Amino acid sequence: MAFSLASPRTPAAAIRLLADAPRGDVEVLAGGTDLLLDLDAGRVAPSRLIALGRLPWRTLRRSGGDLVIGATLPLADLERDPRLPRDLPGLFRAVRAVGSVALRHRATIGGNIARASPASDLLPVLLALDARVRLLGPSGARELPLPALLRGPRETSLTPGELISHVVVPVRRPSAYLWQRVRPSNDISQVGIAVARRERAPYWAVALGGVWPVPVRLPSVETILDAPVPGDAQVERAAQEAALRAPFVTDKRATETYRRRLVAILLRRAVHAVAGAPQGRSR
Amino acid sequence: MSGPIALTVNGRRRRVDAPDAERLLDTLRWRLGLKGTKEGCRSGACGACTVLVGGRSTLSCLTLTHEVAGASVTTVEGIGREAVGRRVQAAFAREGAVQCGYCTPGFVVALTALLREPGPVASAERLLEDLGGNLCRCTGYAAIRRAVEAVRREVD
Repeated sequence: MAFSLASPRTPAAAIRLLADAPRGDVEVLAGGTDLLLDLDAGRVAPSRLIALGRLPWRTLRRSGGDLVIGATLPLADLERDPRLPRDLPGLFRAVRAVGSVALRHRATIGGNIARASPASDLLPVLLALDARVRLLGPSGARELPLPALLRGPRETSLTPGELISHVVVPVRRPSAYLWQRVRPSNDISQVGIAVARRERAPYWAVALGGVWPVPVRLPSVETILDAPVPGDAQVERAAQEAALRAPFVTDKRATETYRRRLVAILLRRAVHAVAGAPQGRSR
Repeated sequence: MSGPIALTVNGRRRRVDAPDAERLLDTLRWRLGLKGTKEGCRSGACGACTVLVGGRSTLSCLTLTHEVAGASVTTVEGIGREAVGRRVQAAFAREGAVQCGYCTPGFVVALTALLREPGPVASAERLLEDLGGNLCRCTGYAAIRRAVEAVRREVD
């Protein structure tokens, strides 16, 4: 495992380095909490890493109704934003679900998205909140809805030389994120469910992690909910629909059957958490 | 980027000539002889290798040494250089929050960082939750919990 490390200070320099490198011979290093495991295991063997830690993307700002998160902002900095628990309770809970405090001091939101893990705790809530990603590459900047970026585990639609620069999240939608895992701390979720509610129809967004191959929205479940405060029968039908439709598989963390039972329970709890909360906040 | 880099480790300026791929954990243990920082899982799951980088708890097994060039690093050997770290060490000793001792440096460093966060001291419940990234394979958690609660009362 011998590679050289480049730590460019400007986005232009990072993109040039990335675009000039032969494909497969270069990896992008953000927080490294996942990539370094792949390097140790020999799953990738690049001759060069391009570290993003010195780029000016460790930023967090509010713009109109959006929270604009720099791609290399450590998750711990996002978690410490005093307004996050109130503005985006689902995102706050999801960030706290990632690894441990020490891990979140290095792990970044851009890295979590770009790794596109099926078990990501952040992707479900970002999907439910209709987050968008800003990309920067050799041919300029563009913005994509998050689902257009995610292809599968470690696979995105980023073109050669392209990087995620920012993540844009609409704020002030009540949201919740619930997960189940073997150990509460520093473990990977077997199932993660995010729900968010808009002010107008279509009201509900529901997204799942712990699925295969990548976290997804569940449109048929969203359609069933179809009211700001759905009735018990509606929630029950939505829970059964989620159990039926979710793209679960059996893997080392849980069986498909367990996940289907679990998602019905978590969906009921998550919808009640949001529907029972006043506008703009939830548990 | 190869070539020697400078780090401040426990208050001392150090130059290290580490390969680009070297982890901070290995630099500390094998180049600088600071064996207090332990290698547990080497995959970010156990917290035994926790050190402070710029005052923030960091998993040295998942950090490349070159990424922290110029930074200030504090290991368990240096954690007693200031008051909070000394109190944490004393509380662990007093409460016997040590069985085999392998996880202890990680716990001491991680707890010191939590207690030094700006703002009001976190509740004992929150401190314990935020120590969830540190595992004790002896399951000596009862004494660790006592030490956390004791030192929290002292610094609050």
